[in-house]
Amino acid sequence: MTSRAHGAVRVGLAVALCAVMTAMLGGGPAGAQSPAHSRGRSLVIVQAQDPQTWDPIATFLLSWGMVGSNLFDGLLDRGPDLVLRPGLATSWMWIRPDVLQFKLRKGVKFHNGEPVDADAVKFTFDRLLGPEGAKGPQQGNYKSIDHVQVVDPFTVNFVMKTEDPVIVTKLAGYGAMIVPPKYIQEHGSAYFGSNPVGTGPFKFVEYRKDDHLTLAVNRDYWNGAPHVSAVTYRFVPEAATRVAELQAGRADIAQGIPVSQAEVVKKDANLTLMPVGSPTVIEIRFDPSKPPAGDVRFRKAVIASIDVQTIISTILQGYGHRVSTFQSPLSFGNDASMKPYPYDPNQAKQLLAEAGIKPGTEVTLSFPSNNADFREAAQAMGSYLQAVGLKLVLQPFEQVTYFSDILPHAKTGPIYEFGWGGWTLDFDNTAYLLYHKGEYWNPVFSDSEVERYLTQERTTNDQGARRKAFFALDHRLYDLAIDFPLWQTVNLWGINKRVRGFVAPPDDRVRLLSIDVQ
Amino acid sequence: MLRYIAARTGGALAVLAAITLFVAFGVRLTGDPAVAQFEGGTPPSAEDIARIQRALGTNRPFLTQYGAFVADALRGNLGTSFRSGQPVVALIAERTPATLALATGGMVVALLAAFPLGTYAATHRNALADVLIRVGSLLGLSFPNFWLGIMLILIVAVRLRWLPPSGYSGPESLILPSVTLGIVLASTLVRLVRASLLDTLGQPYVRTARAKGLRERVVIGRHALRNALLPVVTFVGLQFGALLGGIVILETVYAWPGIGQLAVSAVVTRDYPVVQGIVVVLACGVILINLLVDISYGLLNPRVRVGV
Repeated sequence: MTSRAHGAVRVGLAVALCAVMTAMLGGGPAGAQSPAHSRGRSLVIVQAQDPQTWDPIATFLLSWGMVGSNLFDGLLDRGPDLVLRPGLATSWMWIRPDVLQFKLRKGVKFHNGEPVDADAVKFTFDRLLGPEGAKGPQQGNYKSIDHVQVVDPFTVNFVMKTEDPVIVTKLAGYGAMIVPPKYIQEHGSAYFGSNPVGTGPFKFVEYRKDDHLTLAVNRDYWNGAPHVSAVTYRFVPEAATRVAELQAGRADIAQGIPVSQAEVVKKDANLTLMPVGSPTVIEIRFDPSKPPAGDVRFRKAVIASIDVQTIISTILQGYGHRVSTFQSPLSFGNDASMKPYPYDPNQAKQLLAEAGIKPGTEVTLSFPSNNADFREAAQAMGSYLQAVGLKLVLQPFEQVTYFSDILPHAKTGPIYEFGWGGWTLDFDNTAYLLYHKGEYWNPVFSDSEVERYLTQERTTNDQGARRKAFFALDHRLYDLAIDFPLWQTVNLWGINKRVRGFVAPPDDRVRLLSIDVQ
Repeated sequence: MLRYIAARTGGALAVLAAITLFVAFGVRLTGDPAVAQFEGGTPPSAEDIARIQRALGTNRPFLTQYGAFVADALRGNLGTSFRSGQPVVALIAERTPATLALATGGMVVALLAAFPLGTYAATHRNALADVLIRVGSLLGLSFPNFWLGIMLILIVAVRLRWLPPSGYSGPESLILPSVTLGIVLASTLVRLVRASLLDTLGQPYVRTARAKGLRERVVIGRHALRNALLPVVTFVGLQFGALLGGIVILETVYAWPGIGQLAVSAVVTRDYPVVQGIVVVLACGVILINLLVDISYGLLNPRVRVGV
């Protein structure tokens, strides 16, 4: 026994030593043929999250959009340039103020062979607006639609219940993807959620939850067949592991590279790092019901005391864009001529003195703890505020708790973090739910001038008038300094150099149709 | 004896009831699944949230929800996932093999490492190898297992390309996570094997065996190690809880599609039925094992029954 044990120990130690030494000496097949090439023209994508269902009406996750945009089509589509373009509809127009008419593309079939016609469109929206849709988060976006009317096999009318200037944009969103009536009626929604059938450039092959999803090419796609031969999405929650998969050549595209790993990807000769500004904006909000945040001088003092640009260039390593309002520059309603308040600690001190706020006053900043970048930024803000005489107390919360119990019930400190992505790329959604009095996300703030602009932008389809209302709103919010917009987030993508034609999409909807591999 | 079994079983059922009540109540204190559904999207209105609460049934009073859950569970139905619409029983069944494979792999690695190393250390007490093994096991205990996992991925998968970094692509995928889990378990185990063996080596029967002129190999292999095994086996059994905890983290690091990852994603999205289901299944497992142990003790040792 002992001599056998001797042997085992010796062999074990030798193997371990060899492994460590080879690793340290930088050996290994770094220059050898990468496993990526053995995959030929098939593509592997690693993403952080498995949405758990592929039913378009049951999800809001960006991770759904990465996949779903290749499986399904909407009446309209929006590419990486974010411009609306025809999808399953070839044209659309308002034939009455409350009726939007679509002409459908002819000869398109679902992956199971069902035809795409007016009845399929009607079925899709009946389902979305009915009890099945009520279970998911998408229905609320489309409730301005009263019903869909079949005019002829390739013409449908959307009859509106209320004004909705953003409806055309929304019809390019996840919830409005056209789904196959017969297939869903036969198999039910739960089955459809794990065995999706759409009209997109790729069709479903296999799905293993939290592991992988395989898609094959739809050779009959109406917009031409894809260049790659097949796609596998793998779900890898840990960011360091996603980077490892990319480095090992086992993945071609990795989503959600953390700033801390950006250099690793950048330095790898086989990889490219692609940053892209997203619709998500991070800001600090003030709760005016909690002193001293009710005093505009205090709010402006906090804003003047923090050097956001330095935080962006150090903590975010430059992967973030300074913003002046709570919307990304991609969004309709963003007044590009507005500049953020400058960093001016002396002015901050003066404002605090004017407001009679004593040096050493404690201010609590509440925030959800899942955003590592913000957590670090908050610590930096602590020292900036200390320099002007305020003591920042950090109060982190678990994300869902924060969004369901703390924030909507005004249980935050006088300042708190808030971040949202305006997926419609129209300020309407965000602005209305954040500044309209009594909304879930806005338990305290109200201002009559703000209300007026919100009503103006919501009750007309005239984009010129809406833009004017939004610009006025932007300036009013800026003067009130009711929030402190920090930065537009930048998403980082890691790409194997063998991938051609990849455009980093601001909204995470990777379009595989245009991608090829070498 | 029947009374004893009945009392133990009754106790076990009471514990199970307490656990389900605690979990069902606790998970509802931590946030609203209706709100969690909007992550990554647009801010929902209060109306949207209320609509989804109605659809999921989370707007009903807690006791109504709990009652429905218990009534369904008694019929073997653990409900439907809020996120995927799939039955919870099916979700758990689908994930169990992956987790069992990882647990077994980790345990095998731990035993394969701990027995030779522990025996070697005990038989070469205070020699350099013994000191190295002891220091090594202390290091193994001090590394958080997710860090160890990422280091192993970087060295073995990225640098050397010997094994895949993550996922479930074949038997080779099992090696890295099993080794990571095994190292953490082995670190405790190796110290126990060493201590236990040192203890038996000092016993009179070992002296007698040596006095008979038996070869050292036989003395240790047949006499000392066998007896040293008892506390180790007990410990391995008790380690099962710790093993499950380690698995939850490692499944995330290695993108391993097991129950641990299912549990983590269900907690993050407040998928109440899935969280409840996993806890019930795991609790049933632990309670059942304990119940069997209690009953077998009672059968083996009549004195235990007196305490009832």
